[in-house]
Amino acid sequence: MQHRRQRGALRLAVLLASGIAGLALLGQQANPAAKAVPAALAPDGALTIGAVIALTGNANLYGQDQRLGIDLARRWSLSQSPQRPLRLQLEDGGSDEATAIAGFNLLINQGALALIGPTLSQQAFAADPIAQRRGVPVVAPSNTAKGIPQIGHFISRVSAQSSVIAPLSIAEALRRDPAIQRVAVIYAQDDAYSTAETLIFQKALTARRLPPVTVQRVQLADNDFQIPITAALQLQPQLVVISVQAVAGGNLIRQLRELGYRGQIVVGNGLNTPNIYPICQRWCDGILIAQAYSPELDTPINRSFQRLYQGVRPGQPPSQIAAQAFAAYQVLFEAVQRLQRRGGLAGISLGQAREALMAELLGGQYDTPLGPIHFTPDGEVVQGRFYVAQVRMDPGGRSGRFALIRNATAPAASPPER
Amino acid sequence: MIDNGLLVQMLIGALLGVSVYLPLAAGQLSLATPAFYAVGGTLAALLSTTWPALGAGADGSFPLASFLLELLLGGLLAGVLALLVGRLVLRLQGIYLAIATIALVEIVRVAILNLPFTGGAIGIFGIPQPFPTAAGYLLPALGLLALAGWVCQRLEVMPLGRAMAAIRNDELAARCMGIDTTRVKLTAFVLSAVLAGSTGALAAHFLNTWNARQGSFDTAVTMLAFVILGGSRSWLGPVLGGLLLTALPELLRPVGDVRLVLFGLVILLGPSVFPQGLINPGLLERLGRLGERAEREPQP
Amino acid sequence: MIDTLLQTLLNGAASGGVYALVALGYTLVFSVLGVINFALGALFSLGGYLTYLLMGGAISANGGLPGWGLPFGLPFPLALLLAAALTGLASLGVERLAFTPLRRRNAEPLLYLITSLGAGLVLVNLLQMLMGAEGYAFPATALAGLPDAVVLGGARIRSVQVLLLAVCAAAVIALTLWLERSRSGRALKAVAEDATTARLLGINSDAMLRLAFLLSGALAGLGGGLIGVSISLPGPYVGIGYGLKGLAVLVLGGLGSVPGAIAGGLLMGLAEALVPGEASGWRDALAFAILFAVLLLRPTGLLGRRLVEKV
Repeated sequence: MQHRRQRGALRLAVLLASGIAGLALLGQQANPAAKAVPAALAPDGALTIGAVIALTGNANLYGQDQRLGIDLARRWSLSQSPQRPLRLQLEDGGSDEATAIAGFNLLINQGALALIGPTLSQQAFAADPIAQRRGVPVVAPSNTAKGIPQIGHFISRVSAQSSVIAPLSIAEALRRDPAIQRVAVIYAQDDAYSTAETLIFQKALTARRLPPVTVQRVQLADNDFQIPITAALQLQPQLVVISVQAVAGGNLIRQLRELGYRGQIVVGNGLNTPNIYPICQRWCDGILIAQAYSPELDTPINRSFQRLYQGVRPGQPPSQIAAQAFAAYQVLFEAVQRLQRRGGLAGISLGQAREALMAELLGGQYDTPLGPIHFTPDGEVVQGRFYVAQVRMDPGGRSGRFALIRNATAPAASPPER
Repeated sequence: MIDNGLLVQMLIGALLGVSVYLPLAAGQLSLATPAFYAVGGTLAALLSTTWPALGAGADGSFPLASFLLELLLGGLLAGVLALLVGRLVLRLQGIYLAIATIALVEIVRVAILNLPFTGGAIGIFGIPQPFPTAAGYLLPALGLLALAGWVCQRLEVMPLGRAMAAIRNDELAARCMGIDTTRVKLTAFVLSAVLAGSTGALAAHFLNTWNARQGSFDTAVTMLAFVILGGSRSWLGPVLGGLLLTALPELLRPVGDVRLVLFGLVILLGPSVFPQGLINPGLLERLGRLGERAEREPQP
Repeated sequence: MIDTLLQTLLNGAASGGVYALVALGYTLVFSVLGVINFALGALFSLGGYLTYLLMGGAISANGGLPGWGLPFGLPFPLALLLAAALTGLASLGVERLAFTPLRRRNAEPLLYLITSLGAGLVLVNLLQMLMGAEGYAFPATALAGLPDAVVLGGARIRSVQVLLLAVCAAAVIALTLWLERSRSGRALKAVAEDATTARLLGINSDAMLRLAFLLSGALAGLGGGLIGVSISLPGPYVGIGYGLKGLAVLVLGGLGSVPGAIAGGLLMGLAEALVPGEASGWRDALAFAILFAVLLLRPTGLLGRRLVEKV
């Protein structure tokens, strides 16, 4: 009996092994990069832009805003009478590395011209090298970790790092109260964005001879901050500088106020979303925030974006995440149209088209809802304008706005971030 | 369609399934596999990005020999760790052992997040590549799986394997039969850790990056699902379970937003439909009898 | 110094109360069935969302149904109780789908871990699809009239935390009294101690099992609603973290022990409150390090009894 079972196991193992070998052979698809790009007027002339964003898992909060932003950009692009139509293919990148890799592979094998995504920086470090190796342009809508554009030539981003933005809001807080001596810092230590941002905050503080009196670390998933807040408040800070993500940030601000903190609060870019209003309600009032996107920017493209957004979410201002996703699709769309107009897409293979698009993308200037942007040769975004806003809540405390108080122009040729 | 990248992920799933299966074959419900996976992956990520002697190229390439060395070292480190921890935790019974090993997974995760040299939240990135494409990883992953399978297959006829089965059936009786149960359980635990550590080292290169999120409580229970749905009475069960359950969410992509609900339903209802798992001893026996039936067991 | 100590105690009690509630939820099912219901964290989330909906809160389902909500809004205490009851019913549903089929087949207890995990996965992903990934805050009327914080000497605690602790304590006391004093409570205990003898005494053990699931779900739902009013609903995963902590507390206190679950919860909350700010990154490991240490010293938890091997 034992003997038979052993033999059965062996047979099954051989069966499984041959199944795996078969799958391995079948999976070696012909590389679509060698295929010719169809003519613009051909029935299949639309080129595919793939997007891999978090539609499941705990990064879904951003993924939903990104899905909306990309879709609005697609609708906007249709009104621009494109010479080369684009087709959008959206895939769930999950909130983990493996799913993002699977999404990238899927879209690249299906012949996507360029990719938008993934949502998290950690996912980008996993999936971007694959696009780089296969020569597919990637525009990251929300990756802000150090080193993303340096993954390779084909990797770029429209999400500015906080190094330029963050110190602006500190400066504003100190301008309002030059007597500030004691600063507390709180940040989410398992969040890539927040850990990078808090270092910049702390550097800016130290540069002004205000080393923080305490640095409290919290987790991304934390929402009850009784312990870090009471620990921080015992040191009687006059300014609290926060780097966490949206919903947790709303809770942190609210609990700070409820526990009796009356001083100024400066928050990082992760809280630049109207999602925080319902969470911290009236307690949000007065916080200072540095923004990479301001809904109050008065340009034609931002007004178009706002109009489309209002059609889907009436009464809500768009979040920075949605605006950056819009910009990611927009830069790809405009680069493709420029290439098409110059005849740069005629008679070449998909692989060559991907390369040509990358060169075109990096060479262009774009007027986006974020303001005017362009890229360094590395693929790092150079954003012209940043904003410092103060939250002003309605008397009811359920909704509010980011009232613009500073409109800072970044140095024209800022060196690429390293 | 299943591309080579997904196939590698499926093989990694199968390897981790076997790693959870090994202690279970000795009756020990250990969920420590993600901790050892994380340790192996972190070691490989650190070595390949910081130790120039391994020969990582400026173009992101990596010598095959160094990669294989890392698989070995990842397994070794995890094994040594398992030897230390195993002596302590294997005194625990049943669900207490399961929870203690979940605690270990969480402690390792927080440690990797907080240690000064593991890159914090972002982790370690830019891990050099021994192969130009995902297809390259197929061979080492299959090789590792074949090795694990060979060991499991050998175990069934070796005294160690028989002792494991005896403990699984009745630990007290096994001890009465003179089996050194502590030693046997520890051996199974260490074997499981070695496999998880090597798999982690392989996965670190395959994923291009490594961070604290790679070994967590969720992954622990997902791996257990590989074993349960595949069948916990033969090493082929977790292999099949790992392959299928890793592929399933990807194959469900066409259904859109409900894909994880469907995946959950499979895990919810699967054990009720196949309480013994997809691969059970009866099936193996029938498979083994194929062909001999005609000669020796003529059917009436 | 005294203030700091008092503050630490308050902080610890505030988080410990919820841990104890979740651990009790596990305990009820464990004591009767000898297995852990991994879907409890998801039920905790469900309770939070149900409370929010019953108070008339609007959802947007990722923009799919902007502003959708029930046409009425209940006051918070009523919504909380009703949501807890509904979560209890959902827990019965989990029992029906994830536990009953296996019990009928007399399957290995190991399988329950997987099916209950599957049930949790389905619940969380359904919540994410139907309710959306956005954070929701309870209407401001939920706690109308309460001050922001209570000041005790130099220590401060948010009023909602005091409320939370009070409700947790009330629930725990009510449950203990019920188990000790009432007919059905004692029947449940009898089944937990020895199912065979209980059956001989004419107790319907199936009904008791369902009762255990109902109560366990209701406790989780209560926890979810309370946490929701304290910290809003940050997303469908809110309950998972509490579920995991509750698991640690459960084992720390001793599986199947009601006083153990309560003591374990408070102890865990206190230990976390004692972590200094500089080391706060290690706070999440502390719970499990304590658990690990206790298990090594006392393999059945602090107040657990030696139990028959079931898994």
